[in-house]
Amino acid sequence: MLDVQKIREEFPILKRKINGHDLVYLDSGATSQKPESVLRAMDDYYRNNNANIHRGVYDMSVESTRMVDEAREKVAKFIGARTEEIIFTRNASESLNLVMYSWGKKNIKEGDAVLVTRLEHHSNFVPWQVLCKENKAEFRVWNVDREGRLVDEIASVRSTETRNDGKVKLIAMTGASNAIGTLVDIKKMVEMVRSKNPDVVVVLDASQMVPHMKVDVSKLPVDFVAFSGHKMLGPTGVGVLWGKKEVLNKMEPFLYGGDMIGEVGLESTTWGELPNKFEAGTPDIAGIIGLGAAVDYLESLGMDNVREHEKELIGYALEKFKELGDLVTVYGVDNVEEKGGALAFNVKGVHAHDVAQVLNNYGIAVRSGQHCAAPLVTSFGVSAMVRATFYIYNTKEEIDYLVEKLKEVPKVFA
Amino acid sequence: MSDYKDEIIDHYKNPRNFGELENADVTINEANSSCGDVVQIQIRTLGNKNSRTQDKEDLVIKEMKWRGVGCAISTAAASMLSEKVVGMDKRDLEKLGETGIIKMLGGEINPGRMKCAMLAYRGLLRIFEEKNQKI
Repeated sequence: MLDVQKIREEFPILKRKINGHDLVYLDSGATSQKPESVLRAMDDYYRNNNANIHRGVYDMSVESTRMVDEAREKVAKFIGARTEEIIFTRNASESLNLVMYSWGKKNIKEGDAVLVTRLEHHSNFVPWQVLCKENKAEFRVWNVDREGRLVDEIASVRSTETRNDGKVKLIAMTGASNAIGTLVDIKKMVEMVRSKNPDVVVVLDASQMVPHMKVDVSKLPVDFVAFSGHKMLGPTGVGVLWGKKEVLNKMEPFLYGGDMIGEVGLESTTWGELPNKFEAGTPDIAGIIGLGAAVDYLESLGMDNVREHEKELIGYALEKFKELGDLVTVYGVDNVEEKGGALAFNVKGVHAHDVAQVLNNYGIAVRSGQHCAAPLVTSFGVSAMVRATFYIYNTKEEIDYLVEKLKEVPKVFA
Repeated sequence: MSDYKDEIIDHYKNPRNFGELENADVTINEANSSCGDVVQIQIRTLGNKNSRTQDKEDLVIKEMKWRGVGCAISTAAASMLSEKVVGMDKRDLEKLGETGIIKMLGGEINPGRMKCAMLAYRGLLRIFEEKNQKI
């Protein structure tokens, strides 16, 4: 189990007061807070090692190059990948766009279908919708049931007829819903599609998985995995794309420029090896080093312990919310085995934004709105939801406090 | 501190000019991208509707009605605005601006809620600004 009190000591921001109250940060699904070790790693780099990578023969450039290489090795080991398969991007959105531009544009053709789940964050929905329009491919949406689970039959939104017809070239799916927390049985779902589409390429948005549970890409039936550093204790500005080496090698670059080339001639240019081929220009060196420190921190806790802690919190929250009766509506599955650390709900008769603002008066930070997942949120017949997300530094006492203050919300508007 | 002043709560609970406007000259829907709320605004105007001037300079709002589901801030803002804009023309509306809306709502709005506060106002502006928006 996690020593949460010790962990909390290591996150300076948790000492903040908001409107005179202790900060209760329940928005780690949007971005996590950062421990001292991550802040220090980036600060140390700028103070002692700052130099561009791959450019100089002088000591500091050698050091910064080594630091980025080490961070890449840490991330690779953390998710069971080969080092050269780890591509640093700006964020998960950029990782997903990279796949769309470099793989999708070339390989998705007229008559093909792309299958996207209704659980997706807009970042794994919109790029494929746009691609399908441009390349005249069919955009299919894999529906969810009333509890926000993917339905077993593969149907498009427009018809209930089974559409597992061998036209599907790509599946874009999340492993854990950012909005309502549903955990997806990736193997089962992919196998279902693969049975009719043996060559289907699978793009997994693991932004809400990698920070919260053990992910081993070598055991997943997927070709690409995208996630962000800032949701896993790292800084903003760094994301990761993992891709199978064989697939990445066949792809054209996404961005052109420095550091990604092999040989540049007046007539033509060849591309560098992986991962450089996909990393044009100076990367966010300090950010990558910070992400490496974040991986060290999570490894020191153990990802199984992280998941256990969150399971306990979400289970506790689901029970506690039952005390609120019909004051609240909770969305999504009511089973911790199928749920990540996100709890989506609404307060009866009060708009999600108003709930969030009243909670802010008590120092509670929650997200409200559509959580960049409009197709999913609206499938529940509402335009907005409140979302509380839990992480390693959250406690049961904070959930008690949230529940207590939720009772105050309707009084403001009475 | 309270973000919800009595006047906001009053307009939220008893929204003014809520509903459908018969014989409306124009109807427009405005959506809040932060939460998906949509407000419908309808107005009747005074002035030469057949005027050739594209920018509708000579039109004056005679009546405004609105409807839609929203939060306390967007509801109160639409309600207050529906009273405030009667007699205004395009120039008056533009002069109102973000500052005018904040002032109308009591002088203080959490920056995170500006989209809610500005929703109905943006819809109204669009009526007068868009060339293809017929009146």
